[in-house]
Amino acid sequence: METHEKSATKQIVHTPPQGLAVRSAALVVRGLRDLTRDSNWLIKKVFTGQSSHMAISPSGQVCTLSPQVRYGSQRVVLYDIELSAAMMALSVPGETGTFQPGSVDEEAAAFAWSPTARYLVAAWGAWHPQLHLFDVHGKMLLGAFGVFDRIPQNLAWSETGKYFAAASSGGKGATLRVWQATRQEMPLSKSPVAEIGAPQGIEPQTYGEGFEEEGAFRGYGKSAFSPNENMLASVASIQGEWADDSILIAESHSLQNQSLFQAQGHITDLTWTPDSRQIVYCAAGQAYRLAAGSPDFEPLPFGAELCVCHPHLPLCVCFSSWLKNSAKGRMFLVDLNRMTVFDEYAAEGVVDLRWSLDGSKAFAMTQSGMAYIYEPALL
Amino acid sequence: MALKETDVHPPAASIKPEDQELARKREEQAVLETELADRELRSANLRAELGAFERQYLHFVGSRYADLDELKAQIAERLAREQPRNQRAQQAARDARARANETKSVAGEKAAEEPRAFRAAPGTKRLYREVAKRIHPDLTSDREDRVKRQQLMAEANEAYERGDETRLTKILTEYECSPEAVQGEGPGAELVRVIRRISQARGRLAEIEAEMQEALRSDLYQLKSRLDEAQKHGRDVLKEMVAKVDEQIAQAKHRLEDPESARTP
Repeated sequence: METHEKSATKQIVHTPPQGLAVRSAALVVRGLRDLTRDSNWLIKKVFTGQSSHMAISPSGQVCTLSPQVRYGSQRVVLYDIELSAAMMALSVPGETGTFQPGSVDEEAAAFAWSPTARYLVAAWGAWHPQLHLFDVHGKMLLGAFGVFDRIPQNLAWSETGKYFAAASSGGKGATLRVWQATRQEMPLSKSPVAEIGAPQGIEPQTYGEGFEEEGAFRGYGKSAFSPNENMLASVASIQGEWADDSILIAESHSLQNQSLFQAQGHITDLTWTPDSRQIVYCAAGQAYRLAAGSPDFEPLPFGAELCVCHPHLPLCVCFSSWLKNSAKGRMFLVDLNRMTVFDEYAAEGVVDLRWSLDGSKAFAMTQSGMAYIYEPALL
Repeated sequence: MALKETDVHPPAASIKPEDQELARKREEQAVLETELADRELRSANLRAELGAFERQYLHFVGSRYADLDELKAQIAERLAREQPRNQRAQQAARDARARANETKSVAGEKAAEEPRAFRAAPGTKRLYREVAKRIHPDLTSDREDRVKRQQLMAEANEAYERGDETRLTKILTEYECSPEAVQGEGPGAELVRVIRRISQARGRLAEIEAEMQEALRSDLYQLKSRLDEAQKHGRDVLKEMVAKVDEQIAQAKHRLEDPESARTP
């Protein structure tokens, strides 16, 4: 049998698939999202298990230790809150992922995202006691800096990324250090530009960390730069169940010109108002407002343990673990001008809160991996 | 009309092996042509339904989102004017304006007429199936013929979405009368052509399946399904969405008129 082609062009031509082009994709997703919720809060399960150390990025990712496997293999993992999916695990050379039983830093971890969510600084008990800087976009470890006796309690980046602070506990050896941004491959200076031990006016601890000296300085806790980046506020934590913590406010670049404000009870969170003039803080379950650099403070008409001010509006998103006449906790918004509480939503075990970069959403994460996304139509 | 080779039945002993194979392949091709036409119809139905739903959604809800985003941009711009040194507020205003422009561009101009849901008449479906069976581009191995068929098939798809039976009939008649419809250059070459057409038809069937799966996974289909499901229980979710966005628009207008309330959601 003889066959021949009519011409060289007579060949089977691939037909491109007729994919459905949907020009309205973003509006459809928006409609679907609006359909699934009956309030300004959207609830999602991001991971299973329990984890108490985490940091939410301004773009809606969360960095946390993988769910607890005591003495087993654990990782530092990034999850996407919106997608409820793990994005990547972070690792450093020599990482074991296991803890030595009885280690002081067992399960200690601290994370901080840069303002654009490109960089992440992480410290973890299973790594060397240093700060590890990751380029999340480039998916690489850029390097390690700072040496600590103990893993820092709290890490903070300033509004534009100009400064970075690490606050550590450990009593006698507790420090507060500030690094400055560089234009080099490693975007933070190798050495801190400022470092202080116990703040002036607080009794330092005399003995080692094994001794709990009531009323002595325990270390630095939650720290936050003012939105204009001029000042750093840090919780000076005091030993003892009924002790009163203080707020240290100092110049960002030098940690000098310190002012110390004594609060009532242990401070669990603090945040600057967008105008950099006031600090909202939570002590012993009560919210207060403090005029920065002065002793003027006022209790606010609501209880809270966590609070974060909106980047440019007089709003604060808060979490309180208990509600009057109820054992249940709640998330809520506060109008700082009118002092009104609105958009409450039942929630428990929240460990981190933050606003998105543009302030259109707020994210909260619980120990059990639940995410609360506050996304009002009018923000 | 050309006489097909399968219509001729000479004595069994005189049938050549290539003719027997050709007959078998033509039967296989005929089955595939029918299946392909059915699948094309289902795919065209899905596309048309989703297209009509998208137009409805944009008309009723999308246009309102555009209005809402415009108001939000105006609110953000006012807040930025009030806080000229607040970089975050300036950026938020720029973002809000960009979002409003984007939503407006996607939602498009609101049509004067309300778009209707897609529903093809049985006669239109029958005609489309016939067109797909006869002129499907994957049922030819001739490049020029294929180009012509692709063009006609695209016209047929548009005519089907419009429910234009006259145009569908015209497409079919025009092609039937064209020289490309004439077949046959001997059993050998014809056998190769038929085998290639079968292969192309199978390939297209796989593509249709992938396209359908993609469409079924799309957010647009998910939204449509939810609305259809709710409609079965007597709920008009599209109407509810419209009411919800209208309420947000009213709140936004209030915020725009009252400077104090502009600072809270």
